[in-house]
Amino acid sequence: MQLAALAAAAVIPFLLGANLYILTVLILMLVFIIYSSAWNFLTYTGQGSLGHAAFFGLGGYGSTLIAVATGLSPYITIFIGAGLPALVGLFIGAICVRLKEWFLAMVTFGFAIIIQTLMVSQFSAWSGGWDGIASPRLLSSSIPNYLLIEYYSILAITVLVIVLFAIILRSRIGLAFAAIRENELEARAAGINPVKYRLFAFMTSAYFAGVAGALEIHHMGYITPEIFGVDISFWPVIYSISGGLGTLAGPIVGTIVITLLWDGLQSLGISYARYIVIGILLVLIIIFLPKGLVSLPGRIREWMEKRAKKA
Amino acid sequence: MKKLLAIATVLIIGFALMAGCTEQQASGDELKIGVVASMTGAASTTGKDVWQSAVLAADEINAAGGVYVEELGTKIPIRLVQGDDESTREGGQKAVSRLITQDNVDVLVGGFSSAVVSAHQSIVAEYKVPYIITGASTPIITRRDDVDTFYMFHHAPTTDDSGSQTTLFIDDTIRPAINEKFGFSADRPLRLAILYQDSPYGKGQQDAIKNTIAQENLNIEVVSEETFKMGETDYRTVLTSVKNSDPDVVYVVAFLNEQIPAVTQARRDVGMNAIFIAVEPNDDPDYYSGVGRYGDYSIVQSRFSPYAVPKGPIEASVEKFVTDFDEKWGGFPGMMGAATYEGVYIAARAVEDAGTLDKAKVRDAIAQVEMPQMVEAMKDQTIRFSDDYRESKFDLYMEQLFWDDDLQETRPKIVWPASLKETDFVLPDWFEPGKE
Amino acid sequence: MVVSPDIALQVVIWGLYAGCIYILLATGLNLIFGVMKIVNFAHGELLMLGAFVTFTFFTISGFNPYVLLAASVPILIVLGVTIERLCFRPILGTGKLNEIFISLGLIYIIQNAAAIIWTDEWRIIHSPYESITISVFGVNMPLDYLIIIITTIAILIALYLFLRKTTLGRAMRATSQNRKGAMLMGINVERMDMISFGIGAGLAGAAGTLWAVSGQVFNPYMGSLPAIKAFAIVIIGGLGSIPGAIIGGLIYGIAENFAIFTLGGAWKDAISFLILILVLIVRPTGIFGESSE
Repeated sequence: MQLAALAAAAVIPFLLGANLYILTVLILMLVFIIYSSAWNFLTYTGQGSLGHAAFFGLGGYGSTLIAVATGLSPYITIFIGAGLPALVGLFIGAICVRLKEWFLAMVTFGFAIIIQTLMVSQFSAWSGGWDGIASPRLLSSSIPNYLLIEYYSILAITVLVIVLFAIILRSRIGLAFAAIRENELEARAAGINPVKYRLFAFMTSAYFAGVAGALEIHHMGYITPEIFGVDISFWPVIYSISGGLGTLAGPIVGTIVITLLWDGLQSLGISYARYIVIGILLVLIIIFLPKGLVSLPGRIREWMEKRAKKA
Repeated sequence: MKKLLAIATVLIIGFALMAGCTEQQASGDELKIGVVASMTGAASTTGKDVWQSAVLAADEINAAGGVYVEELGTKIPIRLVQGDDESTREGGQKAVSRLITQDNVDVLVGGFSSAVVSAHQSIVAEYKVPYIITGASTPIITRRDDVDTFYMFHHAPTTDDSGSQTTLFIDDTIRPAINEKFGFSADRPLRLAILYQDSPYGKGQQDAIKNTIAQENLNIEVVSEETFKMGETDYRTVLTSVKNSDPDVVYVVAFLNEQIPAVTQARRDVGMNAIFIAVEPNDDPDYYSGVGRYGDYSIVQSRFSPYAVPKGPIEASVEKFVTDFDEKWGGFPGMMGAATYEGVYIAARAVEDAGTLDKAKVRDAIAQVEMPQMVEAMKDQTIRFSDDYRESKFDLYMEQLFWDDDLQETRPKIVWPASLKETDFVLPDWFEPGKE
Repeated sequence: MVVSPDIALQVVIWGLYAGCIYILLATGLNLIFGVMKIVNFAHGELLMLGAFVTFTFFTISGFNPYVLLAASVPILIVLGVTIERLCFRPILGTGKLNEIFISLGLIYIIQNAAAIIWTDEWRIIHSPYESITISVFGVNMPLDYLIIIITTIAILIALYLFLRKTTLGRAMRATSQNRKGAMLMGINVERMDMISFGIGAGLAGAAGTLWAVSGQVFNPYMGSLPAIKAFAIVIIGGLGSIPGAIIGGLIYGIAENFAIFTLGGAWKDAISFLILILVLIVRPTGIFGESSE
């Protein structure tokens, strides 16, 4: 299954034409797959953040500043720069560790706003304030087919990230996550320290959200504080829920399907209605298909089996 | 096995649909202009304005036969293609890349929000498509040193331009009026408070004001600088701070949904009797109806107005533009629409000058274009782009609002510069200057 | 910076009037949470709809906008009931994250439906009393503000009487105190859910009307910010506690404005969240909140 998907991802540019538009869409899609997967990772411990744009943006700023200061290739600085959101994630996670879900949602939402305000005021000397700063591109545009190479390199990073998440989630850490999510008291009784695991989840989630943000910024070539916006915080939520919360494939499927839907509706000329469609889809999925689109084939099969039995 | 084949098929069909839906027939017999507009998202009111004005311009040019291209030996029509940037950087990237590779546009016009434009400038630079930017107001747009902006033209006043023009007006008109009326010494500095939006636009204007004061050695003292978040509705506390600093003039950098409550609360709740200044996005019928009596005697900096038409060369064309727009779409065009309308005409003119659709030659033609001004007053009454940063220079004017009893609303009259003014600037009776 | 007493008084009175909107929102949220134990993040959109309903009726009929409370409140009650039945009831008990996420979907739906119906232009209505100012304790304030304060007090009193004196109200209180016990006593808890959501929505609708009447501008996206402030107030004051919401609102209003004086307007939202976060660090269930759910 996974190999087939990988093969598909590898050949798609050639099937559809490796031009600017297709590659731009694909690259942005991969960035958001990493981002959504990182957000989704946090929900394994029952924590749903509404302010992940903070980490996405901090990764962008961190990597940009390091790249500009040292001249290192962005491919290296994204992994160093993401340390900034990881640290901030540790801090925020520590505050949120004892909070119930709605409180955590509001606090994370608030942090995104606080961080944006800080970046344009106290830290504007580093961040360029509202004007932003130019960021070194991943690959120079003078290299032939550079976008194609960018695509494959980001694809490779995406695969690495997802494999990493898979390993973590299948290990004892993943079991601990599940225990904490299901019943914290029992987990504590079993000797699992929820604080430690929650913080770990927060840091990891923040780190890879930062990697995604850095990738996007080095692709675009410029960073501004709008990266901390509410829309950036909400997309990974929409993608992950649509695809399937708490699954590895969920964020991937969700990002792809919703992005296709979004751009597809756009070319049909529908504007505001797109948001309504996404909203209705979200509501329907939460009520009728709580495990997301990845569970759809399974549900259809069940339903067909039931019908076959009745006949 | 069947399951993954099915999923793979669905995905590939989905992608193909998406790509196919937007594939346009490449044709050499049209001038394709991509209009980059924020049709959805936070900035969607500007997008509608930009698109509708572009359509009006294209329809007018096509009705007159189209654009003559010497290389083809015939006139060809303009075809506009809409690129919705969704007011986001990602949306802008996708829209512009689609316009360039799927729709094969010859020229790009539009672009609002510095953040969105800065994210796709690299694409435009790489593919060398002439881009007439009619929305973003940050000066950085054509001055970036990390991206080659050779193909980009800035046909909108920057915050530097509007900030400095307004500040000059304050110094040469308001300051002497106050000193004379209250018998102050002629070198009493004017007390200026700046209340600005926490955004690139607000900060840009604030910087411009202070730079202008410093560079031109103006006799203005900035007694207060306060910010507010975009979309703020309650200004009373911040206005109390401003009032405490005892200003003569309060320069407010806000959009109309912020300006209306700011001025209303300042005059009504906090009791400030200073002169209030509004920036050009407020020159909109909704502002006049919204601010009501409290806008009386306030100032609006403008370059395109629904109610005040600069007398002289552009009077007729502005009235025609507004009438035609109303007939076609109902309602008033805004200033970004006006700039985009001109942008389409600039593109058409450049193609005619170049005699070809070749992008490099068209770019050169835009760089050298000299067109009579159209619906916005330009410096020297000519539309042209500066040699250094390819910026066009607007003749910005200042209006003062006066209450009209019949309409039960205020209406603007141009009071500056001397070449465009209709009437003199007046200090109202209720005006109280700051301390001496 | 030194604040003179009459400015201080002025700020208090402004705080009272602005607080009315937040108190109505917060009370609605507390009512819904009390009975259903859920939080609806799309609450601000109900405020926005209240404002737009008022706007539409005002444009058509020209009636005194205060009278139009009789239009916005019932419509919002019906809408609230609908949302509860269609969206929240099916997911009751499926986990808190689902409530948060379904609210997100609702936000997108309601905001953009409003944008399609009314377009996303900024709207404003002018109250007939707009230019009348009166003097209260030596402070000048627009008559509208006084009417809004009185109206809010009236609504709160009516709500109080409803909850204390009527059978239905007592049933609702019973449900919020002990859902299982209420069921055993024969109370139809699902009906209580519906009614509480409806009333909560109605309060938001009233807040929307008052927002519009006070001459504030509004567009389809304006609901989120007041709602977030209301949430913060509710969390600070303690989920489910009405006196907490009132005191939380006052603390909030004063602290926010103080922050503007000292740090500048750009910090207003950030400060709101900083206060919230500080309170939650010290007391994770809010100042007046229950120590366990």
